[in-house]
Amino acid sequence: MPSVSQSIRVKVLFFGRLKEIAGLTQDSLDLPGEADIESLFTHYASRYPDLLQYRSSLVASCNQEFAPWNTILHAGDEVAFLPPVSGG
Amino acid sequence: MAASSTDITLLVHKPIDRDTLGAYVRGDGDGAIVIFDGFVRDHSKNRRTLYLEYEAYEHMALAKIQEIAAHLHIQFPIHRVAMVHRLGRLEIGETSVYIAVSAAHRAAAFDACRYAIDTLKRTVPIWKKEYFEDGSVWADGELPTVPSAPSATSTVKPAS
Repeated sequence: MPSVSQSIRVKVLFFGRLKEIAGLTQDSLDLPGEADIESLFTHYASRYPDLLQYRSSLVASCNQEFAPWNTILHAGDEVAFLPPVSGG
Repeated sequence: MAASSTDITLLVHKPIDRDTLGAYVRGDGDGAIVIFDGFVRDHSKNRRTLYLEYEAYEHMALAKIQEIAAHLHIQFPIHRVAMVHRLGRLEIGETSVYIAVSAAHRAAAFDACRYAIDTLKRTVPIWKKEYFEDGSVWADGELPTVPSAPSATSTVKPAS
């Protein structure tokens, strides 16, 4: 019998226009174990379809470090979706 | 990578105290200070700007600014660094970012200051919204480069 994958809770942050589209700055979400950042984004894109058009012009971070979309998430991780940066 | 303990790295929500920062990096062993003072322009792409609003992923942005400052000491023979970015609403002419680098010789101070502002603009999670008479837009930005493998598990070591 396959082992039951445990669900994990992650914190999710939105910035810039993503914050405006989602209408929230942060969220807390339960995911199946082994979920990656891509699947987390897919979840929010299904909830807020306008996010989808920005997928190719976003980067993600995990625990305050830039992270590839296939990064596997762990309980307590803080994930952020980051539009192109424009400081200075 | 921690910044040198004598550097100043800050995100602030009030006007940047430029004089204090400039004086802070100045030492008797230095012969030059190069300062980058970035401030709010009154136009953007032929539209008149009213004001700007900056927001940041503050925890990560400060860590990235500290990484840049630390890197300057490795790459350039410099003395001290002050790197400060302001957040919130800024009016025309107000300083949004201020970087001061001191060094014994000018070349290192110029090179380090240029590297610092260029890297900040490419990698630090800060966003600028421009307000015009007829609306507002998020400024075009740069997409940071992301390592291709998850950083936590990808400590690659040379074979030998």
